[in-house]
Amino acid sequence: MKNIAKQYIKWAVVLSVFTGMASCQSDYLETDPTTAASEEAAYSSASNLMAIINGMHRDMYSRQNDSQGQNGQGGIMIMMDALADDLVFPSTGNGWYISTVRWQDQVNDSASNTFYPYQFYYALIRNANLVIANGPSVPAPTAADATTIKAAIGEAYAFRAFCYYMLVQIYGKRYVPGANNTQLGVPIRLEANEIPLARNTVEEVYTQVGKDLNEAATRLAGIARATKSHFNDKVILGLKARIALTQGNYAAAVTAAQSARAGFDLMDKTAYTAGFNNLAGNSEWMWGATIIADQGDSFSNFGAYMSRNFNSTNIRQAPKAINSKLYQLFLNKKDVRIDNFDPTGAHTALALPSTYSKFPYTSQKFLAASQADSRVDVPYMRAAEMYLIEAEALAKLGDEAGSKAALNTLGKKRFTDAEANYVGTSATGAAYLTEVLNTRRLELWGEGFRFLDLKRLNQGLDRTGANHQSIVTNNVMTVANTDLRWEFLIPRAEINANPLIVQNPL
Amino acid sequence: MKMKLILTTAVLFFVGGHVVEAQKAKHDTIPQDTKIDEIVVVAYGSQKRETMVGSNTEVKAKQFADRPITSIGQALDGASAGVKVSTGTGQPGSSPSIQIRGIGSYGISTSPLYVVDGTIYTGSLAAINPNDIASFNILKDAASTSLYGSAAANGVVLITTKSGRKGKDAFNFSMSTGAVGRSIPEYNRVDVYQYYPLIWESIRNGRMTSMPGITIADANNYATAQLISGVLKTNVFDVPNTQLVVNGVLNPDAKLKYTDLDWQKPLMNTGFRQNYELNYSGGSNTTTYFSSVGYTNETGYLIKSDFERFTARLKVDSQVKSWLKLGTSISGVSSSGNNSVDGADNNSAYINPYRWTRTMAPIYSPYAHDPITFATLYDNDGNVIYDAGSARGADAAAGRNVIQETLLNKDLSKNYYIISRAYAEIKVDPYLTLSTNAGFDIRNNRRSTYGNKIIGDAAPGGSAEKYSFTEQTFTWNQLLNYKRRFGDHNFEFLLGHENYKYTYEYLYGYKKGQIVDDNDELINFVTPASLTSRKDNYRKEGVFSRLNYDYKSKYLLSGSIRWDGSSRFAKDVRWDSFWSIGAGWRLKGEEFLSNSNLISELKLRGSYGEVGNDGTNSYFMYKSTYTLGYNNAQEPGILFGFLADPSITWEANKQTDVGVDFGFLNNRITGSVEYYNRVTEDLIFPVPLPVSAGVPDNTISRNVGTMYNRGFEFTINADVIKTQNFTWNITANASTLKNQITELSNGITEIINGTKKISVGHSIYDYWLRQWYGVDPADGSPLFLVADTYANTTAADIRTVNGIKVTTNSSKAKFDYSGTAIPDLFGSFGTSITYKQWSLSALFTYQLGGKTYDSNYAALMSSYSQGGALSTDILDRWTTPGQITDVPALNSITYTSSNIGNSSRWLVSSDFITFRQATLSYSFSPETLSQLGVSGLRILVSGENLWSKTARKGLEPSQAFNGTASNRYTPARVVTIGFNVSF
Repeated sequence: MKNIAKQYIKWAVVLSVFTGMASCQSDYLETDPTTAASEEAAYSSASNLMAIINGMHRDMYSRQNDSQGQNGQGGIMIMMDALADDLVFPSTGNGWYISTVRWQDQVNDSASNTFYPYQFYYALIRNANLVIANGPSVPAPTAADATTIKAAIGEAYAFRAFCYYMLVQIYGKRYVPGANNTQLGVPIRLEANEIPLARNTVEEVYTQVGKDLNEAATRLAGIARATKSHFNDKVILGLKARIALTQGNYAAAVTAAQSARAGFDLMDKTAYTAGFNNLAGNSEWMWGATIIADQGDSFSNFGAYMSRNFNSTNIRQAPKAINSKLYQLFLNKKDVRIDNFDPTGAHTALALPSTYSKFPYTSQKFLAASQADSRVDVPYMRAAEMYLIEAEALAKLGDEAGSKAALNTLGKKRFTDAEANYVGTSATGAAYLTEVLNTRRLELWGEGFRFLDLKRLNQGLDRTGANHQSIVTNNVMTVANTDLRWEFLIPRAEINANPLIVQNPL
Repeated sequence: MKMKLILTTAVLFFVGGHVVEAQKAKHDTIPQDTKIDEIVVVAYGSQKRETMVGSNTEVKAKQFADRPITSIGQALDGASAGVKVSTGTGQPGSSPSIQIRGIGSYGISTSPLYVVDGTIYTGSLAAINPNDIASFNILKDAASTSLYGSAAANGVVLITTKSGRKGKDAFNFSMSTGAVGRSIPEYNRVDVYQYYPLIWESIRNGRMTSMPGITIADANNYATAQLISGVLKTNVFDVPNTQLVVNGVLNPDAKLKYTDLDWQKPLMNTGFRQNYELNYSGGSNTTTYFSSVGYTNETGYLIKSDFERFTARLKVDSQVKSWLKLGTSISGVSSSGNNSVDGADNNSAYINPYRWTRTMAPIYSPYAHDPITFATLYDNDGNVIYDAGSARGADAAAGRNVIQETLLNKDLSKNYYIISRAYAEIKVDPYLTLSTNAGFDIRNNRRSTYGNKIIGDAAPGGSAEKYSFTEQTFTWNQLLNYKRRFGDHNFEFLLGHENYKYTYEYLYGYKKGQIVDDNDELINFVTPASLTSRKDNYRKEGVFSRLNYDYKSKYLLSGSIRWDGSSRFAKDVRWDSFWSIGAGWRLKGEEFLSNSNLISELKLRGSYGEVGNDGTNSYFMYKSTYTLGYNNAQEPGILFGFLADPSITWEANKQTDVGVDFGFLNNRITGSVEYYNRVTEDLIFPVPLPVSAGVPDNTISRNVGTMYNRGFEFTINADVIKTQNFTWNITANASTLKNQITELSNGITEIINGTKKISVGHSIYDYWLRQWYGVDPADGSPLFLVADTYANTTAADIRTVNGIKVTTNSSKAKFDYSGTAIPDLFGSFGTSITYKQWSLSALFTYQLGGKTYDSNYAALMSSYSQGGALSTDILDRWTTPGQITDVPALNSITYTSSNIGNSSRWLVSSDFITFRQATLSYSFSPETLSQLGVSGLRILVSGENLWSKTARKGLEPSQAFNGTASNRYTPARVVTIGFNVSF
């Protein structure tokens, strides 16, 4: 008896110990990440929704694919210039963008520079689709919140339009004005899903871009933006002008360009040579990116490649130069724009150390914050471009007088002498149009336009007779406008996961 | 709660049963062992080796005690059949990666679970002093691992630390010291005299390709003119640049301006290793203790890579009352060292010293030279001035100097560990034991880096980073163990519950702009570039049970089950059950074999079970998230960062194991033959998504596939000669592995990732590459088989050679399967010989079959190198029409096709044999020992990684399970001499 009692006591102890330990809290196994915000949190308030838009703006100057040569929009801008004739690499430097200069990227479907623009723009499109889809259901307790949500959705549409516009220009065949552009463009994805989609035609992509810009314009009308990195109604008009020019809708281009530039005064001559690094303070800059000290990426920033003074190997060994033929066209014309380029390459005013290699015709258009700090504000859109769009469109419509009026307004501001002494060009007809285009080349040098301009104008590439070195370009000095390399190959990663894609001809 | 119900039912069962027993007053007895049985450590307890039905390999301390290893992981290589190792790097303190019985998963962890003294251990293996380890057991099949449930799929390694033994007071001291050197030699590369003409040839041929009408003379002149000024930038000979290479021949009058062109010597020399160990242990009838202190200091053969570690351990076990046994062990470790660059993570970075010592052309000197006298330049303090890289080609790290950067930069880590265990065992009655185990591990890591102001990524401002993380693991289990014999029937029943909690806290700060020199604390820097912290939590809970039965140690049966819940998965899929059954027949116990002298042991065994793998890459895989920190100037920003499948859950492993354990001639020869089949279901794959979906990494992880790993394992151990003065023992093991994907669901038929493609009917490491055909003897063009889409087209880049349609354009090349990285046979063999006082042991590991994708070699075979080194194989390149060779012509236009990656041109056999370790020792005779007053004295010489033979000099095939090669810190050869003395 005593034995059994002792056993029972022991068992009671055992039992209670066990049941005590076995009682678990049901939420013991619920854990939450601290490094990221869940989707519910992201769509739970207007400010969080706008945080997504801000994240997208930040992505425009963030390193992609862990590669310092693939910095958001800036890296693609450099690629668009490296492919063309106006940006000259005087040596191979430490190799960055040389494969682009040599037209080797777009023919290799596994090349990282073929993948980069595709991945970059579609990632932004996904975020835009998420904002557009979830924005309407975000709670808006105050009127300010409602405005924020409207602005966020508007910016999402603008982003989507911008991204599809860039994608179709790079990966599709050029838009032929007036024709039904049935050539293959890129897949249009309007929802944040992952289903394989076939490529839409170039015409369909441009139609979608137009629709998205209209949606953006409605929402952004009258809304003041926090900084110039955001889209606003003027920037939308600027994009409309740019796209209309590409599509050959010259009348629409003119109207949009004139409205877009309203309120953005052209910068004066001193500002023009001050280093192109002041988004907020420069009245002419419509849209760009300002990189603050703790958000920069030393060797990845736009300025780490395009400025003259940053102490990167790429700039010390391969500082970017302007096409000497283009420079010569504007010599002795008292044009402040060529003052940003030094035909001797000495850049005495910058006091560059001797470790910086010197080459003729190098550019100091962009100046980084210091030799140790590669930050440069990146220009996405300036009012000057609007004047040039207007001039080109009017010239193509036959209104030479109107075209010259626009061109001269810009020319006066770029004249190093007194404005009153400015006499515009006397050329007419085709020669005049060439002058407009040359002015565009010089004005927008280094801002990522030239390859896309050559493509839309259906001109071939001609690097001959200038300061291009065949050893750097690997003998790629001319490319006919019918060459297949004007279209980038769709990256292999897309084809591997999407059997509906038809690759561009090789 | 489900568990509460089960537990109470179980306990009630016992209460009831015991009451019945007490009333029956049977004359059952407390099990008494009348012979000494070999006891083996198993999951949550121990068991007699005779009655085990699972696959459990034990390695005792004396097999690795003499080896100059820093981490016990290094002793796992070759320890057991079925264990494949991808060797650690040469960084002192690094551990290898292990795969047990094949590749258990594709997208998530394939590492086994480590258990130290009964509790899960997630820290670094380098924190455990190998001299404190008494034995480790490798558990391979479901019957032995299923009690670990959701963590068990990849096998379990049980580590048991040394304890004291009663009545045996011991005091040991050992010391060893030795040299550390490079074990894998570098690839053979061309020298400075051969290099210039090769690049000249490439420029000349490219000129002729891009300007078809040009004359050979003009192309030659172009190449001569461009060679230095356009491409290589440095002329290390004393003749003018334009006269260096004329018509393809190096100027015969050319003499070198200077000869210090070696990048490897300044970075890699001989390291040094010392190890000291003191332990004392003993015990009385009730209490045993073990205490040890250890110190290890190893510098690697790469400068500024080292490891220093202090360990201290105390373990006490005490039978405080007749029914209560308590034990505590606590180990404190402090380690610090300079970290070398992680080669695999920084494969092509400028700071990767292994890459640049391999691929820097032989024409560049690391030092600056006077342009007139060519003498090496020194500064006012007598220090050599390094070349700043201003005159280098595009492939030669222009603007950088990896030697100077390695010397000036810093990367230092400090680790502090406490590993503690405590347990209590209560003997409730003769058959029933209640025990509880608690384990608490804490690791604190501090890492500081400094980027110098002079050259490199942080120049000219300088930068400093501080990382800190604290990892805590806490485990607590309660076990009920009932062991009873009814006549010849033995039962053992286990019931348990376990809680596991893991916390990780991380802090990181990064500032730029150094103020004063020689101070790399963050306070000495101007601009904050990043400041961030995070915290991760991971929790698990489980209830488990096991029943073992044997009849006269002849017929064996075992079963176990565990319910596990993990915080890594969503609530609906969080809990699952894992179970196993095993059976065995010990033929030796049968009448007809009991007297056999030939057969001393024979057992057939088999098991089947289901275990899980929850080692996902993230603790929160089921939630889609936006990444924080994408701020746009002053405005806060987030960006979509991760697309999740909310239903993601464990991978399940269904494992079958069948084996025969045998012993002949009184166990002179022992061994086993096993067959296993491991089926992984619900494989988590990063399923590729169209890039146009804009998903980060363009993949989403889903449970989509089924895969099997199966093979045979053979182990044999033979005492060939066993006499008084001379013994000779041989061991060998061999394993085969076949891996195949049998199902991919969710509408996916194939997944292409890097050089591999996964599809049904192929293995997980099958290569999917452009099919290299060879070189066209007519013009030296690189040739690939044509892809089907272009097969019937005609174009300038499609031609027919030897009747086969081929193309010179790599973008039109056909992709196809090209072998696999998985070997046909791998294993180890070794021997040990003792003669009187001498003993010698050696261990070899080998692998046959399988292919490596040698990207390191590909980098040395460029058909247009602009300052990068070239393999001596490039001398076989095509030069004359009609020449048959497999190296295409050097050509600066067609090189993109010749060099193209993902091509079968770069596959090479992975066969290797390595002399992994050897030890020679002399034990002083008992007479000498008694004169000296010690109980044991041995002198030994020991070495690791002594020699290896691979398919190509410079190749290291065992660096990665998936057959890839990277520029990494190859493992070191260590040779030490030392002694140990026991008092």
